[in-house]
Amino acid sequence: MEISQSAEAPELDLYTIPSYSNWFQWNTIHEIERLSLREFFDGTSVTRTPRIYKEYRDFIITKYRELPPPIDPYSKKRVLNFTDVRKSLVGDVSVLQKVFTFLEKWGLINFEYDSENEGESGNGGEKTAPLKEEVEEEVGKERVRVEEGAPYGVRVVAAPNSLKPVIPMPPLVEGMGQKTGGLRSGSFAGLGSYTDVYGGLLEGKGVECGSCKEMCGSGGSGFYECTKEDRSYIICEKCFKEEKYGENKGADDFKLVDSSSLEAVWSEAEISLLLESVLKHGDDWETVVESIKTKSKRECISKLLQLPFGDLMIGSVRRRESNGDATLVQQGDDTAPTGTQECLKTEDKDHKLNENQQNGDAETEDPPKKKQRSTPSPGASSLLKQVSHICGVVGPHITASAGEAAISALCFENQCPRELFDDDDDDNDDAEAVKESEPSSLNNTEQQSAQPADNSDSVKILSETESKSASPHKNVIPQTLRTRAATATALGAAAAHAKILADQEEREMEQLIATIIESQLKKMHEKGKYLAELKQMMDSQHKQMEEVEESLILERIDLLQRLFNAGLSRSKDLLAEPQPAGTT
Amino acid sequence: MRPHTAWGFSKIPVKFKIPTSDNLVPIRLDIEIDGQKFKDAFTWNPSDPDSEIVMFAKRTVKDLKLPPAFVTQIAQSIQSQLTEFRSYDGQDMYTGERVVPIKLDLRVNHTLIKDHFLWDLNNFESDPEEFARSFCKDMGIEDPEVAPAVAVAIREQLYEIAVQSVASARESRMNKKYHRKVSEHVTSSKSGGLAVDLNKLFGNKASVVRKRKDWDVYEPIVDFLSNEEVDALEAKEEKKARSNSSKLSLLSA
Repeated sequence: MEISQSAEAPELDLYTIPSYSNWFQWNTIHEIERLSLREFFDGTSVTRTPRIYKEYRDFIITKYRELPPPIDPYSKKRVLNFTDVRKSLVGDVSVLQKVFTFLEKWGLINFEYDSENEGESGNGGEKTAPLKEEVEEEVGKERVRVEEGAPYGVRVVAAPNSLKPVIPMPPLVEGMGQKTGGLRSGSFAGLGSYTDVYGGLLEGKGVECGSCKEMCGSGGSGFYECTKEDRSYIICEKCFKEEKYGENKGADDFKLVDSSSLEAVWSEAEISLLLESVLKHGDDWETVVESIKTKSKRECISKLLQLPFGDLMIGSVRRRESNGDATLVQQGDDTAPTGTQECLKTEDKDHKLNENQQNGDAETEDPPKKKQRSTPSPGASSLLKQVSHICGVVGPHITASAGEAAISALCFENQCPRELFDDDDDDNDDAEAVKESEPSSLNNTEQQSAQPADNSDSVKILSETESKSASPHKNVIPQTLRTRAATATALGAAAAHAKILADQEEREMEQLIATIIESQLKKMHEKGKYLAELKQMMDSQHKQMEEVEESLILERIDLLQRLFNAGLSRSKDLLAEPQPAGTT
Repeated sequence: MRPHTAWGFSKIPVKFKIPTSDNLVPIRLDIEIDGQKFKDAFTWNPSDPDSEIVMFAKRTVKDLKLPPAFVTQIAQSIQSQLTEFRSYDGQDMYTGERVVPIKLDLRVNHTLIKDHFLWDLNNFESDPEEFARSFCKDMGIEDPEVAPAVAVAIREQLYEIAVQSVASARESRMNKKYHRKVSEHVTSSKSGGLAVDLNKLFGNKASVVRKRKDWDVYEPIVDFLSNEEVDALEAKEEKKARSNSSKLSLLSA
């Protein structure tokens, strides 16, 4: 809030409402409102419903707050009058007036406005302006209102109609700043008070360096955050390079916070929402973003990518660094994402092969649970929860094969010696075979102690997932690998599940199409039949017609014959006459 | 096809009353005797004893220094308007779920008012006087005669609508005796003609906040006229009134 009062935004002022109106909230209708304006809540009319009341109320209050500050510097009051309001609202004027009077009575509008005073100045007009001034001052002395901060009843929400409370908006995003600037100058009715409150915050947030006391984190550069005692201690990049760490702190105590990662401040709720909706909708980012609302698509994707993985990586890197084994983990870090992808690719194939190996599946049913149990860090638990959830969604054999694929991929990527993983690789498709080969490889590792620690770690994971034996080296297994194995498993399993679903869908679609075609064919057939029938009918009619025609001709001939027999007819006579004329 | 029954209660008839909190009768006087004119509009409480009418007339004539011939004229005019109002007493009318547009277009001395708003006929707590008062205050009208005139204008329109509604109620009752089905159709179409479409305005899809471009349409217009303009308008009105009366006399002849 303090930042918003900076010199850049002098026009901002607080909306004051009296303390006795602290029940007011944008998103609900209070009991007082229900009692005072009962007609809206007894359901007697479609013209008076709670929804309409809320719309009236919100509009009137917003309208009042949107009023431009008075031009006259002496009268520091904005006044909304009823006639201004009713022109923009549909409804019975007497009911509207009742709402208006109610809001005025509770000081939600026109609070700073003294009606008597207004009456005087209204009558007096311009002539009494100096007089009014005096009156104003006097009145000002008399009524001193003490308000302890903003009344807690006023809760700032995104818009009067939305039910979501405002989550701190992403600072340092220039685009956002411009947007809200536009909002302020434009005429977005519902957002007026919100932007007034948050506008400054969006523009000027920076982080103060603990060493040089300058604002860092602005202008695209990152800063370092202390990870030890107090997390709020921050130094800028420059100071970090110059090794000005501050008291009792060393280079190891700081973590680089890239300003780009600061872009979005994610709340706990949002993250869980993100994870949930990703679980639900998968790759369909549009839907995911829709359910999160407060974040953009890009932010969601990048957040998901950097979220638990990144955190855990960093955590383990630090631990390893203290052990003096930095290079190895560095490798692992770099290759982590590719490992997952590989796993995704190979998984499908694995799954199909695995279907033939039912007995193997049954034995490897519960690796995900097991992994979850062995997680030491609380940070990883949320991830593993998700993992186990994903694994729970899909079938056990899918999970198992996914786990195997993941582990083999990890072994590859960590450049394990050929002799150890050759047979592992060969038998990768076959769960049973892996299981058989597993004890020998374990033995190998134990014997060849000179081998890199990483290899033995991978194998241990293998052993842990494959057989349920509790390894004595359990606590030595690096968390990085375990987590990665777990996530890879989960992702693989999910992918497999998705594939199965897609296949099912496809089959169903094919079936449906087949049915459609069949029914179409039937329809055509029926039509053909019908047409043939019609043709038959036409034919028979035609025949009848011909017969009739024939009989008519016969009749005519008969008639003519009779006429002829009876002597020369009139028509004959007439016909005979022009004939000679024509011949001559 | 039956907009009222959808809400279930509007078939219950209400006894005739001007749909406001006080049952006041708008009275309009327009009397001319020997070239001297008296025009006024006010409200009257129909439950007051009729003896008050003569008292009021006498008092008015005395205050305004009008010739005594006006007393009887004024008293008669008020009496006849009251009688007409009372003739509707006790009759049924259907008011349920009707929101009617009220249009104001009047001139009081130097103030010209044009306005346009909705009035709920089912709201028996409405108060035109209060509305008119706040209207004048908001618009900065100082002339004390304006507010009563606005209130009377609203009451006159409500009165007219109430009378219509009595008529349609009577009609529907008559029709009902013979053919039930037709009557329903008639009543719905009758009352639907004047009132606004509630479903359209207050339905779930509609917002009760008007579109910005409509704000000007519903904005009240108040003009303060100069003396010359008032004179010109009065002359115009007189001319119009005269031509009307001559037409009437022609028709009656």
